[in-house]
Amino acid sequence: MSYSQTFSRGLWKDNPIFRLLLGLCPTLAVTTSVENGLGMGLASTFVLLCSNTIVSLLRNFIPKKVRIPAYIVVIASFVTIVDLVMHAYFFELHKSLGLFIPLIVVNCIILGRAEAFASRNTVGLSVVDGLGMGLGFTLGLAVLGGVREIFGAGTLLGFPVFGDGYPPALVMILPPGAFLTLGLLLAGMNKLEEKRAIRAGEAYRPPREMDCGSCVLCNLGENLRDMEDSPRAAAKKEESPAPE
Amino acid sequence: MKEMLNLAFKLALICAVAAAALAQVDGFTREPIRQAEARAQREAVEAVLPAFARLATDTLRAGLADQAIYFTGSDSVQAVGTAFTAVSGLGYSGEIEVMVGLDTNGRVNGVRILRHAETPGLGANYAAADVLDAFYKGKGPGDDWKVTKDGGQVDAITGATVTGRAICDAIEKGLDQWSSDRGSAGGSK
Repeated sequence: MSYSQTFSRGLWKDNPIFRLLLGLCPTLAVTTSVENGLGMGLASTFVLLCSNTIVSLLRNFIPKKVRIPAYIVVIASFVTIVDLVMHAYFFELHKSLGLFIPLIVVNCIILGRAEAFASRNTVGLSVVDGLGMGLGFTLGLAVLGGVREIFGAGTLLGFPVFGDGYPPALVMILPPGAFLTLGLLLAGMNKLEEKRAIRAGEAYRPPREMDCGSCVLCNLGENLRDMEDSPRAAAKKEESPAPE
Repeated sequence: MKEMLNLAFKLALICAVAAAALAQVDGFTREPIRQAEARAQREAVEAVLPAFARLATDTLRAGLADQAIYFTGSDSVQAVGTAFTAVSGLGYSGEIEVMVGLDTNGRVNGVRILRHAETPGLGANYAAADVLDAFYKGKGPGDDWKVTKDGGQVDAITGATVTGRAICDAIEKGLDQWSSDRGSAGGSK
């Protein structure tokens, strides 16, 4: 895979937030404004870049059996470095992101890229992958933060956009606003992708995570084999339209 | 056995390198962090006191575990006011810490929120300087520190009474503490 493909994949096709639906905890929690979204995104990008580099460099050194603890040590170290540096030089931002900086450690994107990409690719590709995924994540957070800030506070980057007459829709910067905005953005992404697929003459399949047909929640309690064989699953299979 | 030692050795090596790197970063960020914290505290003191030239800190009850720190600002001649921090646990979401500044008559000259986790757009609106000045400036230890909804004299933001109550609670507790500390310090002299 080429460098440019690896890079652009994180921005759109495999965007961590909109396509992979990874790292939703910080996504929903900190995106009350563009500034918070950007700060969180860039901090995560830095950690992702560094952890991808180190994991890729050490891919032949780290024994397979202890790879997860090894990755976590690497990731946690970089997160602590970001936390300390931010505390020292970006005091205000550090105060508003607060608890969520240490929580970058458990962001699935970072461990996910270490395991799925950096541990089996060259350093160069891993750096590009970390950069692409990180910027894709930042972009997603900034867009979410932007929409929520505009409607929830009537400002963008702190500057008023609607004038004094606009009563801010408080719900948008409260937790429900995060879910509403993300849902609408995901629907929009799916619509765009569907249009593109139809234009290109392909059948469109939403990502597995966003396709109700592949959701496990409805079948909780049945084990995997039951799911495959159950009459419901069979009925679903027949119902699903053949690719056009 | 040999494999196990190998795993343990490699993991320990990674941890050791990580620890060394963290020690380095901690070394060169410790001082900037301390300065940033001190600057934030200083800015809060400046915001709640009348303009001052010198600032002295005093604990009044040195040696006690729960001592409060008092910042006394002075111009060239005399003290112009005293500031202290106070905490209330009655916030809508966790503790609220405020910096309270008193003028020489013991009236509130200014209040700033140092730490809170209130709802953005509701309780968090108290953090604005003009709101705090309008609600709390000029009130003193003898006043009824209750929000108007509870029959008191202090205004609160509509829809965010709980936060208002917590701020009143913090200020009142701070004032009581200060009065008793000053009383006992004066008595012992």
